[in-house]
Amino acid sequence: MSDTIEKDIVAIIAEISGFDEEEITPDKNFYEDLEIDSIKAIEITVAIEKKFKISVRDEDVPNITTIRQAVDLVNSLLIKK
Amino acid sequence: MSKASDAYDVVIIGAGIGGLVCGCYLAKAGMKVLIAEQHFKPGGYCTSFTRGGFTFDAAAHSFGGYREGGIVRKVFAELAVESKIRINRFSPSDIITTPDFAIQLHDRWEDSVYGISSLFPDERKNIRRFFEYFVHPDPLYSARLRKWTFQQLLDHFIQDEKLKAALAYPLYGNGGLPPSLMSAFIGAEIFTEFLLDGGYYPEGGMQKIPDCLSQQFREFGGELLLSQSVNKIIAEDGKVTGVVLENGGVIPCQCVISNCDARQTFLSLLDSKMLCDNVLQRLNEMEPSLSMFILYCGIGQDASMPLHEGINYWYLQNYDLNAIYRNAHNENFDHAVMVRVTPQSKNILAFQNVAFHDQTFWQNNKDMWIERFIENVENIAIPGLSQMTTFKDAATPSTLYRYTRNYQGAAYGWASLLSQFAEPEFKRPSFVKNLFLVGHWTTFGVGIAGVVYSGYSVADLLLKKWKKAYN
Repeated sequence: MSDTIEKDIVAIIAEISGFDEEEITPDKNFYEDLEIDSIKAIEITVAIEKKFKISVRDEDVPNITTIRQAVDLVNSLLIKK
Repeated sequence: MSKASDAYDVVIIGAGIGGLVCGCYLAKAGMKVLIAEQHFKPGGYCTSFTRGGFTFDAAAHSFGGYREGGIVRKVFAELAVESKIRINRFSPSDIITTPDFAIQLHDRWEDSVYGISSLFPDERKNIRRFFEYFVHPDPLYSARLRKWTFQQLLDHFIQDEKLKAALAYPLYGNGGLPPSLMSAFIGAEIFTEFLLDGGYYPEGGMQKIPDCLSQQFREFGGELLLSQSVNKIIAEDGKVTGVVLENGGVIPCQCVISNCDARQTFLSLLDSKMLCDNVLQRLNEMEPSLSMFILYCGIGQDASMPLHEGINYWYLQNYDLNAIYRNAHNENFDHAVMVRVTPQSKNILAFQNVAFHDQTFWQNNKDMWIERFIENVENIAIPGLSQMTTFKDAATPSTLYRYTRNYQGAAYGWASLLSQFAEPEFKRPSFVKNLFLVGHWTTFGVGIAGVVYSGYSVADLLLKKWKKAYN
């Protein structure tokens, strides 16, 4: 399940950042490696929320800086659903 | 018939500011780019026109985002536009007058805080915190804003209802929504321009901006066709392969960027059968923003003018922005007006948000509305305006549609409702490959700074992929 989630998240980030999916590895940092600015960060958050039909807590948004963290967070929210 | 050698990497439909900025970046990087614009001049809503011996800015009349580190400053510097136009800043940029008080927005935000706090001493701390939020946006707040309306943001910081209405009014004038309906994220983008960074104006008028971008685009090797509509976007196997011009010419290309409204792009230009049901349904649910009635008055050179040039004067005669918004749909629109004296030429522009009506309605009503609008401006801002006016005309929603083809003459693309914020399908449609949208129909931002960012970000996205494929 986690693999599919990771794939979907990577696809969303590839669409928004312009980086290829192969380049977006779990430890890549949104801001330092993937050139995500504040507008794209919200774009990604909203896209993930819509895709998985979840609501990310506001206070978690600034703390998510890597792909791995994003996947873990989505996983934990899906389990709670 | 076009030959293969006529193929372009990218065709951009529409030479609005978003399309031009995007085209400049792509051409500068070496891509072969064509921009086709249906109007005989570039700029979209950011154009000027001459009539009766007077030159008027058609709709866009000043801009923000030009501070150090601002998106417009960055883009104009990178595209070498900065050195070709002289941009002046007016301070105060905006004066918002209500029945009880007037607040001014200055080039130094601390001066604005000082002035507003002297009118609302009990709110001194709140006003400073509110302004500081925009000066140093906190990532947590940015995250919150995606779920908030601008009203929630105002309520979070400010107590006084009249002050909230005054602060929110320029947002109504630049986004066409009351704060109770506007996405806080988009509202904050618009607001940041006002508070930190408003009042910029190019010497010679707003047309200088698209003209200069067009010149740069051509110097970078781009090709700009004016008075040439695109009639069709061709797609095969779910992928864009070219466009058909109005003159029947078929232009093959790898990628199409539409600076047009999303309905036109998806329903008229593309084969609408390509649309998946959920996107079609969403498209039919989406609400466009309000349109605009814009009054243009040419005045005699010796007329004595009580307003200073280059300042946006906002007159709010009723604090209930929800009622003003409802009334705008019922042709009762006199309670919120923005008036401006154009720098150098000293012409008068006045703006009111109105709902769309067809051409016949405006043919029957335009003259009456002009007289009523002049009378209103005389009463609230410029006594004797009718006597000093030697030329008068107006743009109706139908005019805005005719020149730009924005759906229903919408002044700011899709309404920036909280429920319409950040719709990825309206920026990068998933049902067809290599089609992108730029401009104020992309649900991520409006105004000059918003569309400049949209053009820049789509170019950045494409260049990352293109550089990898070819370099």
